Amino acid sequence: MLQLIINGIVLGSIIALAAIGLTMVYGVLNFANFSHADFMTFGAYIAFVLNVALGLNIILSFFIAIAIAGALGVLLDFLVWKPMRRKNADLVSLVIISIGLSIIVRNAIIFIWGGSTRNFDLPVRRGIEMLGVTITHNQLIGLGTAILFMVLVHFFLKNTKLGKAMRAISDDINLARMSGIDSDKVIMWMWFIGIGLAGVAGILYGLETTIRPNMGWFLILPMFAAVILGGIGNPYGAMVGGMIIGLSQELSMLILPSEYKMGVGLGIMILVLLFKPKGLFGGTKA
Amino acid sequence: MIDYLVAISIIVGIYAIFAIGLNLEWGFTGLINFGHVGFLAIGAYTTVLMNLSGAPIWLSMASGVVLAAFFGLLVGIPTLRLREDYLAIVTIGFSEIVRLFLLNEEWLTRGPMGLFGYDRPFEAMIPFDYNYFLFILVFGSLAVIYLLLEKLVHSPWGRVLKSIREDEDVASALGKDVFRYKIQALMIGSAIAGLAGAFLAFNMQYINPRNFIPMETFYAWIIVVLGGSARNKGTILGAIIVQSFYTGTRYLQDYVPLASHQIAALRVMVIGVLLVLLMMYKPQGLLGRKEELTLGQ
Repeated sequence: MLQLIINGIVLGSIIALAAIGLTMVYGVLNFANFSHADFMTFGAYIAFVLNVALGLNIILSFFIAIAIAGALGVLLDFLVWKPMRRKNADLVSLVIISIGLSIIVRNAIIFIWGGSTRNFDLPVRRGIEMLGVTITHNQLIGLGTAILFMVLVHFFLKNTKLGKAMRAISDDINLARMSGIDSDKVIMWMWFIGIGLAGVAGILYGLETTIRPNMGWFLILPMFAAVILGGIGNPYGAMVGGMIIGLSQELSMLILPSEYKMGVGLGIMILVLLFKPKGLFGGTKA
Repeated sequence: MIDYLVAISIIVGIYAIFAIGLNLEWGFTGLINFGHVGFLAIGAYTTVLMNLSGAPIWLSMASGVVLAAFFGLLVGIPTLRLREDYLAIVTIGFSEIVRLFLLNEEWLTRGPMGLFGYDRPFEAMIPFDYNYFLFILVFGSLAVIYLLLEKLVHSPWGRVLKSIREDEDVASALGKDVFRYKIQALMIGSAIAGLAGAFLAFNMQYINPRNFIPMETFYAWIIVVLGGSARNKGTILGAIIVQSFYTGTRYLQDYVPLASHQIAALRVMVIGVLLVLLMMYKPQGLLGRKEELTLGQ
């Protein structure tokens, strides 16, 4: 039981981190980005290449991979999302484009690195045992890094000009524009940070489990569940939502066969949609 | 050669039926169903399981169709009153749950081993190659579905669907119960997918959960979008093109120095790229009418 709670917290913090970017995009650009989780996978593979193939140390690989993931987010904004904004495209077109991008990214990864599972080059260390539960080193690192980044996001949103502009745009993009915020620039940074954070989450998840082409895709539903639970466009809601989803997924194993873990997020999401469609903490969109 | 063409055509026909159901949902009504394959799976497995437990094959097929429609209702209820993209999220999850159920409930579905040894309609009575009969059955059904759908979408009911797609506030301002229309479109589309599932089972003579991965849904999507959303003719054209692409690239590995998993990934990437480019630059597809399908642009 305690072990499941610990696993749940670690998984929850990873989902939470990835869900921040998803909810920001959802809030500002107003569409469900189905490709978001595949950038987790992308980040993990880039870090894997730097770490294993090029032999860089893991911390350096980590930061370079995040930057590359974030840059890809900006590139796609430039190539795809910005032209669509100019055309004033309907949200359904954006959703369909995002699933197309997801298919492209996932299969490009299979094309380049194949379908087999990979691991980072790290010394295997024994987990820490106490009170009859085991916390592995990687879990500790994952949890610590995730919390660190969440705190950074908090300070960014509260204390920097860019962060405040991002919240303003998320509340009401037209109002923000009228008060002189350069929305294209803010949106570009939002992609960098959102996809960068997805990359962080992907690397941590790869550390915690293994690196494989489907790793992100299988988390997209729990991530959407976290976003909807926390209220669309609300980064803090997404963090809490991620934790709740991670914990419930792991704890569900007490009553459900583990094969159906993925269904737990979906179940919670449907309940929220039925009874509290604005989420627990209220979002900017409903 | 003729046998080969017939075999390929059967697959085209099954995908056309599968996708024409999606066209009613997405093309005409604007519903983003990302879990269409779940209804295909329900149709296929219900047909096979009913038949294996002794039901006549026609009754089994009918049960598959009805059950698929029923699940369309279940999925629609919590989602169709809300934002359009919630349906996308819930349906894709639903289709994965269906697949996980088929994979894990071995007492019912034999899990990854799959099911075989079931009847096919009139199989004992057909004196010639069964594929020829299946060809007639599939294309006969496609023709009937096509004609019925054409009639439906040109009826007042169909015009309400299109108005919902373009602007559902206008439709409800005119006193139309938007939710009801959406549910009906989703149920009919799902029933059609269920029928396609039965035909898929007849064609393969062996089904297992791997036939029902999420990517199957997106084959239907590219068929509909490429052919032209809200154009049933376009869907049939799309099915022909996509299947030709698959057949044409099947032997590619004899000619290009790539591993087979790379070619497989590349073929799927082409589908993804095509979907993105079409939605960006030609959302009305090959046969669609630009002035009709505005998508806010």
